Amino acid sequence: MAMQPHSKKRVCYYYDSDIGNYYYGQGHPMKPHRIRMTHNLLLNYGLYRKMEIYRPHKATADEMTKFHSDDYIRFLRSIRPDNMTEYNKQMQRFNVGEDCPVFDGLYEFCQLSAGGSVAAAVKLNKQASEICINWGGGLHHAKKSEASGFCYVNDIVLGILELLKYHQRVLYIDIDVHHGDGVEEAFYTTDRVMTVSFHKYGEYFPGTGDLRDIGAGKGKYYAVNIPLRDGMDDESYESIFVPIISKVMETFQPSAVVLQCGADSLTGDRLGCFNLTVRGHGRCVELVKRFGLPFLLVGGGGYTIRNVSRCWTYETSVALGVEIANELPYNDYFEYFGPDFKLHISPSNMSNQNTPEYLEKIKNRLFENLRMLPHAPGVQVQAIPEDAVNDESEDEDKIDKDERLPQSEKDKRITGEGELSDSEDEGEGARRDNRSYRAPQRKRPRLDKDLAQHKDDANSEDTKDDVKSVSNMEEPKKDVPPNA
Amino acid sequence: MAANMYRVGDCVYFETSSTSPYQIRRIEELNKTASGNVEAKVMCFYRRRDLPNPLIQLADKHQLAQSEDSPVAMKLKKICLKTPIGEEQAAQAVLDPALVAMEEESTELPGTDGLAPKQRHQAKHRELFLSRHVETLPATHIRGKCTVTLLNETESLLSYLNKDDAFFYCLVFDPSQKTLLADKGEIRVGSRYQTEVTNLLKEGEEEPRNSEDLETLVWTPEHGLTDRQIDQFLVVSRSVGTFARALDCSSSVKQPSLHMSAAAASRDITLFHAMDTLHKSGYSIEAALSSLVPASGPVLCRDEMEEWSASEANLFEEALDKYGKDFADIRQDFLPWKTLKNLVEYYYMWKTTDRYVQQKRVKAVEAESKLKQVYIPNYNKPNPALLASGAGCAGGKAAVLNGGTNATNGTPAPLPHLCASCQVTNSNQWYAWGPQHLQYRLCGSCWQYWKKYGGLKTAGVFGESEAEAVKGARDGDETALSASHRPHRCTVLNCAKEFKLRAHLARHVATAHGAGEGARPVMKTRAAFYLRASPFTRLARRLARALRRPRHYARNPFAPINLHQVKHDCTLAMAGAGAGAGAAGAGSAGAARARGPVGAVAARLAAAHGSAAPRAQDWLALTPRDRMPAPHHVAFPKPPKAPDGSLMYERVASRAEIEARRNEPAPAPPLKRRAYDDFNGLDSAGAGAGAGREAGAPPPAKRPNKHPAPMQRPSREQYAAMCARAQATGQPLPAHVFTHVNGKPTNLTGRGGRRHVISWMDAPDDLYFRATDIAKAGRRTLSSGELRRGARAPWRPMRGAGGAAGGAAGGALPAAAGKAAAGAPPLQLVILD
Repeated sequence: MAMQPHSKKRVCYYYDSDIGNYYYGQGHPMKPHRIRMTHNLLLNYGLYRKMEIYRPHKATADEMTKFHSDDYIRFLRSIRPDNMTEYNKQMQRFNVGEDCPVFDGLYEFCQLSAGGSVAAAVKLNKQASEICINWGGGLHHAKKSEASGFCYVNDIVLGILELLKYHQRVLYIDIDVHHGDGVEEAFYTTDRVMTVSFHKYGEYFPGTGDLRDIGAGKGKYYAVNIPLRDGMDDESYESIFVPIISKVMETFQPSAVVLQCGADSLTGDRLGCFNLTVRGHGRCVELVKRFGLPFLLVGGGGYTIRNVSRCWTYETSVALGVEIANELPYNDYFEYFGPDFKLHISPSNMSNQNTPEYLEKIKNRLFENLRMLPHAPGVQVQAIPEDAVNDESEDEDKIDKDERLPQSEKDKRITGEGELSDSEDEGEGARRDNRSYRAPQRKRPRLDKDLAQHKDDANSEDTKDDVKSVSNMEEPKKDVPPNA
Repeated sequence: MAANMYRVGDCVYFETSSTSPYQIRRIEELNKTASGNVEAKVMCFYRRRDLPNPLIQLADKHQLAQSEDSPVAMKLKKICLKTPIGEEQAAQAVLDPALVAMEEESTELPGTDGLAPKQRHQAKHRELFLSRHVETLPATHIRGKCTVTLLNETESLLSYLNKDDAFFYCLVFDPSQKTLLADKGEIRVGSRYQTEVTNLLKEGEEEPRNSEDLETLVWTPEHGLTDRQIDQFLVVSRSVGTFARALDCSSSVKQPSLHMSAAAASRDITLFHAMDTLHKSGYSIEAALSSLVPASGPVLCRDEMEEWSASEANLFEEALDKYGKDFADIRQDFLPWKTLKNLVEYYYMWKTTDRYVQQKRVKAVEAESKLKQVYIPNYNKPNPALLASGAGCAGGKAAVLNGGTNATNGTPAPLPHLCASCQVTNSNQWYAWGPQHLQYRLCGSCWQYWKKYGGLKTAGVFGESEAEAVKGARDGDETALSASHRPHRCTVLNCAKEFKLRAHLARHVATAHGAGEGARPVMKTRAAFYLRASPFTRLARRLARALRRPRHYARNPFAPINLHQVKHDCTLAMAGAGAGAGAAGAGSAGAARARGPVGAVAARLAAAHGSAAPRAQDWLALTPRDRMPAPHHVAFPKPPKAPDGSLMYERVASRAEIEARRNEPAPAPPLKRRAYDDFNGLDSAGAGAGAGREAGAPPPAKRPNKHPAPMQRPSREQYAAMCARAQATGQPLPAHVFTHVNGKPTNLTGRGGRRHVISWMDAPDDLYFRATDIAKAGRRTLSSGELRRGARAPWRPMRGAGGAAGGAAGGALPAAAGKAAAGAPPLQLVILD
């Protein structure tokens, strides 16, 4: 996929002036105020006037239940600090209470953050913008029915679901210091969303994101995890980010990208342990932007708020393709940026535990995985027969819906890698389009654990069966011409 | 310089004892105490050697699981590796049959493929276990930096071995619960976790929602205004704001000067309002200007900062002092007329004020006791273990060592000049190592290695049980070590699988062979051992006065022998001062008088006493049972009684089994050859022995006595019976009974003194020699001298071993434990104590 030069784009920016006033609680590191600080910097840097600024709607419960479970959203809607005691059991069930406290306006906060990402995704779908930014979003830990890691509603998943209406394949990149487990889990079994997360791994929240977690079922090889160690600096970050993302773009060929810009990977973060500067962090935005795909930028972690606002301000300028001065302009929160009052920060002298050899090995292992993708060059697409010959939908209709599915049918549904493969008649060019011209897939059946585990065996058998049926089908065809 | 700067977050070595290895800790905090010393709050990493044995087994298993991406590995990730003090419990901790199956496949330490045994050994020293345990240590005990990283499976262990001070960890150890936990979360799969993926819209289908419902445009860059025009408008709006403040009464009180009004009017709220105004006026400067000054007067935008009165600000500060940042409480008790949002907004602005900065300074002074880094100079004081040069090398002083049970370990006593680890003879520095009386020494580099990595460079010296040897040594007591480390082999026909834990074997038997439930508990004698008399032992026996009462010691095997005295005597005697001593020795032991046969002596005695008629002597009468003296120790306790009162002996193989075994090919030799398997070249000189086997019924090599664990320990009733017996006779309970207090297995290892007791189940298999006709015939061909020599040295091939007589002399010898035969250095005294 061609890289495009650093260029000016239509940028839409989502912000609600209320967002800075939500307060997680005393001593809680998550401070929505950082979003307001960013906003004020943007105004005073003069970036504000170069973007379309939107106040997002408050996402409705309907919108949120596209991903989240109904009872979870109902719970979020009804819980308040003053009625907490009545919800003890549910609070435990939904993991609300400790890391994810109940605070005043919790639901509204979720609505605003989700509303921004959904509106941004719709905007991209309508091709009314090339880059959308929602620093209030990026809450990547939230699960389907569970809050986690300061995140309640997963605006990213909601945004991606929106993008999937118009995009066959969506790429999600996560440069938060924490693993993007919520998003990964949500799309763990689909091949339409690839999640790529760069994160600190080992004795670190949320504990997931092992190199070997690669997705399941149809989504196998569609989750990419880059486990890193303390002290990642700009140079080593780029050395792993560039090759991985280029390879992902080449093999996955997404038609839209979502980048979670968690700023806790910056040096000196209260919870983070990387050593990135604003420049190194922003470099990732720049690199992704160069691919010229519809691009959604969301916030995320970031707990040293002066650096978070520096970072997101800089990244907004990168998205806009505008250079901004290192001197911070005066603003309401100017004193926060002392003693130097500069935009850029310098790395600390902490040691980088990620040796080049380590990164190289990780990279090679991930390349091996990416090679398993059906698009990847070098994988023999011919080995897998065309599915057009084998009309599955017919058999399926005959099966009584109330009956348990026969194993053969189950096997068919699990088929993973092969399914996305292009058949020969579909040209290279087809992929460029946002829309895929394949008939819309029927709703994918739910995979549960057992099925996923049987997948490998099932797959191989499945392929064999297909081969047989193909030859059966073809023989009569060959016979036809002589008769005619 | 930088190397000696220690920061929060660094992993460092701590020296808490001069002889034991460094402890590895991560600095969490550095605090200055009132006395000016620096204390480090540290998080503990544990070495393998610090972990209880069963946990190490689990750790190995986990690693194995990691090395393959098997479903078992997935399972292991999820379960908490709980455990146990006793081995039995260790086995129960991992209940999953899948794990058992997996474990049966290989007992090799995984992740070490392609590593030489030495590297494999050293890799174990690099493994740490993270814990959440925090302690406080004086920073002056820091002895250097190291790195600890989570092992990634792309890395080879070699990369750690090649780097100094590099450690890795995979598991988290909880020292209080004695559990290991995989440091890993999981992505769950199932419809409860994944989202339903939206389908692509069909062609012609449109997004039903309007953008207008989702968002409100606040600003667009398509405004046709230049940057300059916008800037100008912003200045105008600020000046309008200044003027508005001049007109506003409340403002003029708060901001008496024009500067202050101008500053207040320059706050961001005014600018945002100006931008909104521009947007609402369709980016027409004129329209925007006129809406800035409506009929009601110039627009005045005030944020919380300005809105709040001085008294409110004071209240707020007071409240912050009292409640901290609990804004809900502050609002309720101090500022109920404000909203929570007001408070939050004000709080963040208040943080930019001087008053906050002053408070912060106060806090900063308080925080001064918290350091970010500390400088610890290199530690140069000599270690007390350092030997003064030449001191320990006093020539000719033999290391007289090694108690009986320890001999089972086959630990060769090192020569005085050798490094116990690398066998080097030259080193600038020597360090005393291990228990004092053993007088091991390490060369400088091995000492460093020991301190840093908690082990010796080579595995050979102490075999697999090296870590434990050291552990025992540290506690200063000699313990039997090797027995529990022998693999447990399945005795079922055609199986012969090996297991690290007996309990695993038991489970294997239960699951794979279906035996188990009904099997009788097995009784076996205690650990068998033999004394290997080297020339030096024999010499010592003659030279040392302490050993001159062999019969006494034979009768009292539990009586201690003063080894130091023996050593001392020997040294004296051997140092040549010994002409006299030697003569004395010869005098006492050498000149045996010829007394003639016993019959002759008896006849002579009878004649001398003049009593021709033999009469019943008192001493010939049997002592009544109740007056029999009870020994202090019961070396071979009676087997436990079954509930029906019968003694429970081990099961003897049925004829069918023996038949089957005979037809079975010799089991594959275990990886590690056990010395006691090899009698007088019985195995190696197999031709002769083989002939014997073919001819007659071969000896049953082993009794099929390895049976499932659940029944191996005495049942509650058996235990009660033992206790009752012990109480009635007034003798202490045999040691092995203690290991099953209250019917619950406990392990002495787990308790205080780390004494390692070989349970009777761990003792080696007894061995019978069944003499066939051929063997008997062979025996007859040997001279009696050869026979006797063979009996004394069962490991030595017979001179005539090639013949049918091979191994004949090994007959009826008890099985010997240990590997003493392997590579013992020539100069060695082995004394049984």
